Amino acid sequence: MEQELRKEASKLLEEGKVDYIVGFAPGSLKFSTTPLITKEKEEVASLVINPFIVNNLAKFLTEVLGRVGIVAKGCDSRSIVSLIQDNQVVRENVVIIGVPCSGLIDIVKVEKLVGKDRNEIDDIALQGEKVAVIVGGEKTELPTKKVLFDNCLGCEFPTPQEYDILIGEPVDTTCNRELGQEKMKELEGMTPERRWEFWKYQFSRCIMCYACRQVCPACFCERCFIEESEPQWVLPVSKWQDNLIFQVIRNIHVAGRCTDCGECERVCPVNIPLRSLTKKMYGLVNEMFHYEAGTDKNAPPLMTAYEYEETKDLIR
Amino acid sequence: MESKSEWEPRIVGLLCKWCSYAGADLAGTSRKKYPANVRILKVPCSGRVDPLLILKVLRLGFDGVLISGCHPGDCHYQTGNYRARRRIALTKKFLEYMGVSEGRIQASWVSASEGDKFAGVVTDVTKGLKEIGPNKLFAEDGQ
Repeated sequence: MEQELRKEASKLLEEGKVDYIVGFAPGSLKFSTTPLITKEKEEVASLVINPFIVNNLAKFLTEVLGRVGIVAKGCDSRSIVSLIQDNQVVRENVVIIGVPCSGLIDIVKVEKLVGKDRNEIDDIALQGEKVAVIVGGEKTELPTKKVLFDNCLGCEFPTPQEYDILIGEPVDTTCNRELGQEKMKELEGMTPERRWEFWKYQFSRCIMCYACRQVCPACFCERCFIEESEPQWVLPVSKWQDNLIFQVIRNIHVAGRCTDCGECERVCPVNIPLRSLTKKMYGLVNEMFHYEAGTDKNAPPLMTAYEYEETKDLIR
Repeated sequence: MESKSEWEPRIVGLLCKWCSYAGADLAGTSRKKYPANVRILKVPCSGRVDPLLILKVLRLGFDGVLISGCHPGDCHYQTGNYRARRRIALTKKFLEYMGVSEGRIQASWVSASEGDKFAGVVTDVTKGLKEIGPNKLFAEDGQ
């Protein structure tokens, strides 16, 4: 698969169809990858496909100028479609190199399960229901469900929805929609007071790094409301009240754009369970407006459309 | 500390200037009785109501928000209230999930001729908020 990807990518550059290739290269740590943005043919040889290509590269489409060939997993392709809907990306300027994905491995989960640091692990291989981990010549098998990222468990679109070139064979979705929703369901079962206490505690830990916003492909505003000083909506010091408001508003701003790709939760340095929020918002949009983010590039964005008869029960 | 019987909810009313604001005016000129708990702000359209305003109101310690605009199909700007509806519905449901009581964020459609309806809505909202109690959501601990 990697060979095919490298071939296609260098062909695109050679033929002048794209100015840049955006993909994944090996990271500086073991079992990690880093985004690669290049226009050099030689660098294309370092493109990789493995179960550690975690980043959602759609973010770079709004930042890299010119025509771009982009490597996209199922979730990335949906973010790209959502950017096309918002006129942030011109479809003709993008060549989507689709990569069917059978789930991404969370190295932190593997480290915890085998009780070893990633440098001590020799090899990790995803083999369907099992993940084979080799430590010092000894092979341990872990259930795939235990080591995949939470958002991969409930993945409905492992094969890109929108692509120009598909590398490899499409993957069928075998995932159960209910999986990866446990935390949200648990919260829904609590009383409102307990839920508020839960979020109050979570946001008191927030250090205002805004990595969630920086990594989010749906957060493409040039100026974010948190940086506005007139009026100053949130204080520039860390207060849980303001951190909570920031996250609520961010979720509302990306409603209909958020594909629940889980990047915000992955990058959070203090591990706030942000996907319990995005998942809920995704579900609400689906349930109330029958709208699924990033599945139809010709559909109008959620907040610009309306129907005469909807959400009548909420308004007097 | 005020006792619960003396406590009166404070509500911010965000009213569309083309209909609900005039509706509230009509309720006044026709001498309708309704609780004086609502502080009215005029907005150019219910579509002006940013979810940030709703959160800001709660953050400032008000007990409830009432957003009121034109009936669907009657918007002065054609589609402002439809867009407001989606936004308000999402904000309301999402905040309920986070733990804000259902009654704190209320929305209604009141036209310029519905003074009666406005008085009724304010009465209902105030009654509902009295049951929910004071807004301590954003209060610091121990206050």
